[in-house]
Amino acid sequence: MATAILEQFINGTMMGSIYVLMALGMVLIYGVMHVLNFAHGVLFMVGGYIAHLFFFNLSGSYPVAILCSMVTLALIGMVLERLVFRSLRDNLRMQIVASLGLILIVQNGVVQLWGPHALQMRPASVDSLVRVGQLSFTVQHFVIIGVVVAAVTTLYLFLRYTRLGTAMRATSQHPEAAVVVGIDPNRVYTITFMIACALAGLGGALLGPLFLIFPQMGDAPMLKALSAIIIGGMGSVPGAIVGGLGIGILESMSTLVIPTDYRDTVVFGVLILMLLVRPWGIFGVRVRGEN
Amino acid sequence: MRRLALTLAFTAAVCAQSAYAQEDTVSIGIVTAQTGPLAAPGKFQMNGFNLAVEVINGQGGFEVNGKTYKLDLKVYDTRCNAAEGASAMQRLASVDQVPIVLGELCSPVAAAEAPIAQDTQVPLIITVPTAPNLTDEGNPYFFRINANNAQLNRALGAYVQATKAEPLAFIAWNNDAGRGGVNGMKALLPADFEIGYVGYFNVGEVDFSSHIANIRTSGAKAVMLLMDEEPGALAIRQIRDAGLDVQLIGTLAMGSNRFLERLNADYLNGMVQYNALPPNAPLERIKAFSDAYSAKFGEESHGFAAQSYDAVFAAVKAMQAAGSTTEGPKIRDALSALEFEGVIGPISFDDKGQASPPVYVTEWCEGGDRKVIFPPEFAAGCGAG
Repeated sequence: MATAILEQFINGTMMGSIYVLMALGMVLIYGVMHVLNFAHGVLFMVGGYIAHLFFFNLSGSYPVAILCSMVTLALIGMVLERLVFRSLRDNLRMQIVASLGLILIVQNGVVQLWGPHALQMRPASVDSLVRVGQLSFTVQHFVIIGVVVAAVTTLYLFLRYTRLGTAMRATSQHPEAAVVVGIDPNRVYTITFMIACALAGLGGALLGPLFLIFPQMGDAPMLKALSAIIIGGMGSVPGAIVGGLGIGILESMSTLVIPTDYRDTVVFGVLILMLLVRPWGIFGVRVRGEN
Repeated sequence: MRRLALTLAFTAAVCAQSAYAQEDTVSIGIVTAQTGPLAAPGKFQMNGFNLAVEVINGQGGFEVNGKTYKLDLKVYDTRCNAAEGASAMQRLASVDQVPIVLGELCSPVAAAEAPIAQDTQVPLIITVPTAPNLTDEGNPYFFRINANNAQLNRALGAYVQATKAEPLAFIAWNNDAGRGGVNGMKALLPADFEIGYVGYFNVGEVDFSSHIANIRTSGAKAVMLLMDEEPGALAIRQIRDAGLDVQLIGTLAMGSNRFLERLNADYLNGMVQYNALPPNAPLERIKAFSDAYSAKFGEESHGFAAQSYDAVFAAVKAMQAAGSTTEGPKIRDALSALEFEGVIGPISFDDKGQASPPVYVTEWCEGGDRKVIFPPEFAAGCGAG
């Protein structure tokens, strides 16, 4: 049993890292822009496809493919923010409708461009194995964990110690006051969206090679990331990290005691419980007037 | 006035042309998955339909009551979704008014389509879904040309008992086909045969790590994978990468060269699977089909394609026997009494609409080719599977 626990802990940490990437992107967009982007899952998926495109059609270098995926998704994010979400600020209903529409457009667009069949991508880190006692994992498992740790650290340092990061935090706290001190909110929103999309692209580029790259690959991670930011606290970066990792490890470990097809029940059960008991989340801030 | 006359003449010509085309062509309805997680096997299925249509039309069409018809396919993508399957079946019956419908990949979707076939009196012949209960519903308009899980499991059950592959674990689709396959295999095995772990996953899931951990904990010596080629390739890769040294037992979808290309010979070496059509088996009907398939599509043939190919011929022969290309009840009656030799073997439907084609068991060899290990009379070495 100890072996199984260790195995599932590592697997859960790996998937939890992916959820952290997704959740961070969503929490940045919501925290700074107050936009709920349900299309984040398809952006994650596009990241996988773009990485595949660059890996096979350019250098054959996986790190380069990941970087190109992030840059491409950042540019896509810039376009989406300006063309779609800028005009829908402060209109939550229409944001949701727009992002649902984006899901259909992007998924079907990907099927038109790449076809309906799933793609495989096998960089060396996926074909190489690491032994941990009697267990065996692909190197990619640990690459994912390591890259996400690096990404989270970089994001933290960026938000904490750079002018732009400070501007983003200021805008998230009080947009009008940020304008008064000379911060351009449009520029902040665009860059926030670009960073969030780049994180989604990174997630897709990391997870796609481990399993498959297919049009629906972002659907489940998006739901788990949404759960993570609710459990962690809407708008809270530490909450997104704790929520994402927590969900990944919980769903993995729960399969040791309950049938595997019920693991989503456990995750969403915790979500419902959190909404009933502490709806502002673990790290969220309770707003006056809320029960 | 002259303009009006020209317009009327043109319209009459178009209508006459259309009427002429409708009289000469019979459209058969097809429900399949062209997109979504089952798009890969869906391609085999469509290839089988298309090849059959090409062969029939290439021979000048088929004759019914002295009139010659060409064959056409009206295809709908059901994406392994029950609601879309039901909608497609309804449309084929009511709007497109096809005389017969073939195909479907997913058992739950076939279950949704079957009642519509009965209500609209349009026979439905499925060519891939294996859930046994589909033909237990007493639906006179529902036929299955491929072997169901019970028939497939009988072949593998003999292998499992002979090799004492216990404890035996299962990873199966969380639907009628998967659960039916697990229950069917358990029912075939002796009561004291040890079952190690049974896990189910939903169509579209790609992470099998939880199942692998549980299989390891259970101490299973063999794992039966009741799923299609895409999740099958993922599961096998993850099982082997996790260092789990178990005998792999798979389905018909895991016996093709296309499946080998998803992995490699090292991952598959020693894996056994049931098979409807070992492409290299030394049987003339299989060889002829395999050659024609390879020539047209540039890849090795597959059981799904052969089953679908035979379904088109079953539909045509039924229309000929019924003497009608439009009357569903007559075509249905003709199907019930039909007997012919197809690519997959002798085809006839029992009183539940189930055919009983031969089932083979093949094993992957070290070099990436296959051998037939069941039935014993067809056993052949590596390369002849």
